[in-house]
Amino acid sequence: MSKMILCPTRGGKDSYPNQDRAIALAKERGAAVLFLYITNVEFLDLTASPKLIDIEDRMDEMGEFLLAMAQERAEAANVEVSTLLKHGHFREALIEVIEEFPIATVVLGSSAGGTGLVTKQYIEELVDEIGGKTGVEFIVVDQGEIVNTYTP
Amino acid sequence: MEFIINLKANLKKTTNSMTGILSATRLPWYLVIIVLVGLVLLIPGKTSAVSGVQQELVEVVIIGNVLDTQGVPIGEAEVRASTTDHTEPLAEGLSQEDGSWVLEFPERPLNDLMIEVAHPHFDTQIIHLQYAEVSSLNQDNIYQLADVILERRLSAGFWVATFVFIGVLLLIAFELLHSTTAALAGVSIIFLTSYIGGAIHPDLFILSYERGLSYIDWEVVFLVMGMMIIIAVVEGTGIFQWLAFQAYRISRGRTWLLVLFLMLITAVASALLDNFTTMLLMTPISLQIGLALGINPLALIIPQVLASNVGGISTLVGTPTNILIGAYAGISFTDFLVNQTIGVVLALVVMAGFILLFYRKEYSQQSSGISPTLYQKLEENARIENPGDLWKAGLVFFLVLIGFVLGERIHLTLAVTAIAGATLLLIWLKPDVQHMIKAVDWTTLVFFMALFMIVGAIQEVGLISLAADGMSQLIGENLVLGIFVIVFGVGTLSTVIANIPLAAAMLPIIRFLTASIPGAQSMVLYYALSMGAAMGGNGTLIGGEANLVTAGITEQANSPISFKEFLKVGLPVTYLTLTIGFLWLVFHF
Repeated sequence: MSKMILCPTRGGKDSYPNQDRAIALAKERGAAVLFLYITNVEFLDLTASPKLIDIEDRMDEMGEFLLAMAQERAEAANVEVSTLLKHGHFREALIEVIEEFPIATVVLGSSAGGTGLVTKQYIEELVDEIGGKTGVEFIVVDQGEIVNTYTP
Repeated sequence: MEFIINLKANLKKTTNSMTGILSATRLPWYLVIIVLVGLVLLIPGKTSAVSGVQQELVEVVIIGNVLDTQGVPIGEAEVRASTTDHTEPLAEGLSQEDGSWVLEFPERPLNDLMIEVAHPHFDTQIIHLQYAEVSSLNQDNIYQLADVILERRLSAGFWVATFVFIGVLLLIAFELLHSTTAALAGVSIIFLTSYIGGAIHPDLFILSYERGLSYIDWEVVFLVMGMMIIIAVVEGTGIFQWLAFQAYRISRGRTWLLVLFLMLITAVASALLDNFTTMLLMTPISLQIGLALGINPLALIIPQVLASNVGGISTLVGTPTNILIGAYAGISFTDFLVNQTIGVVLALVVMAGFILLFYRKEYSQQSSGISPTLYQKLEENARIENPGDLWKAGLVFFLVLIGFVLGERIHLTLAVTAIAGATLLLIWLKPDVQHMIKAVDWTTLVFFMALFMIVGAIQEVGLISLAADGMSQLIGENLVLGIFVIVFGVGTLSTVIANIPLAAAMLPIIRFLTASIPGAQSMVLYYALSMGAAMGGNGTLIGGEANLVTAGITEQANSPISFKEFLKVGLPVTYLTLTIGFLWLVFHF
């Protein structure tokens, strides 16, 4: 399997520039892009109201829809694309995927609203933990523009 | 080592045999047992008015009542009769829940007699019986004392209970602890203070464990439990996601029409089921629809959550606060429908108008349309899971609603109807029972039980009385002012304070005001509480759990709802709907 560019995404309009950057990189390098969505329902843990339905299934469906939208963007650019849905925490899910697939580069983006998971400190810790061990390159993008590259 | 291996093997055997016992075929019987236990708990027990059975012959009896300054009966007050000559009491007992007490004397008392009435949260009162009264007692063998009115005193226990209540509200509001954990912590502190602190100094006593249990409204607990199962089955069919998709199809890209449909679906669902679960279901599909239309999905979702908080007001089962109010005040399902629905509809109409104005830019955008692949995915995500189950679930739910209405004529409690409906669903649909057992969210039921005890504690120590006195002085006998203060006061507090504990604490105050304000006997103040507690939840992001869970889901799709963004639309909607609600109540009552 050829090397892949991994792009964790939460979908939505604000993600499009970052998704497009990952797609452009994949096209440039002749690589495939793998879009990853991570479902995490721990935000329900603090509420007192009853959780009477299997919300994780509904969130998965939402995640699959968001991934399908990202997939369409990649296909429109003639880039080989696949999608993956995982559960749990971002860091652990990321590590799992990197170990499972031939990932050469991880494209991490922050949303235009500045509410993305990715902060500078978080990236540096992630790079320290994963980059050195696996030889994976990390590229941080903001509104489609590359702001930092961490090469192993 | 061998011991540990054997222990593990034995534990495994025990677990396997317990799994066999708890197999799916036997689980419905456990539910039947739970139902029967619940029915027994719901049957009012007989209480004896006689405190202490005395073996010896009773010569004379003195009876009376002990009340507080607001006329509320005081239970567990110690009543002692003695003379000035004797240090040992001649007779003693405890007052009952209704404030009544009985003293039985084995011998006819002498000429002088004094009755001492004491309670940890009140000033002790001593009544000296006059010669004529003692003579009357000796002659007739029974004497009824005039009602004893005790004055409140603020003990150390008062401050502990008050700070515990405030602390629990803050822990919930700022999500520092899970709501149930916060409530249990509060209960633990109250009882530990009562028993350990009370042993050191009587002023630290708050309430006894038995008294605390008496504050738990089991009808609420079992009604919520029954509705949980019904809701899980009905909403698990996928009907609401399907309706949302149909709204998307029918609106044909006209976003303003779509949002009106979605608000209507959400409001009706919230009235019949619960708004928290409704938003859990509607938010993911609405997000997908918003993205498919190429608009900001929050322009669809925020109006829905606002509609869900208001829609639930029209029925007794629509909001947890309505369940509390209905059970406490004896307001029936039909009463809520008749007295609230029109007001709720008017409020929703005004809300819809404001929403169309507020989001006019988003709604005027041309829809970008989606590919056939994405359309198919959307349709798949909005499918009815089990069409066969849907009509069965719908029929049983309809029967439960009929049961709520008709059951009033034979005083059939709502909890019994709900549990019967839930059991019928489980037997008829045969869903995965393990899954259905999980649908009964025990943490929520424990939260309710703990909350009842905490509110009971602040009632015992007099915090509720103080608040009731204050409100009574503010409102006087002006009913319209009373409705205004409750609708807008509770509504404003609900924007930041969790509405379930707030409503639970307000109920005894509303009862007092209902008894003291002329014209309030129509129960209008309870409806005012219902409106204020629910509509106020729209004011801020932390005003309601449906708001928070919606924000949690939208964040997972990169569409976070900030506090400020919600406030810009939520606060005006809150005060608009509170105004409509207030005007409706004044007009209707």
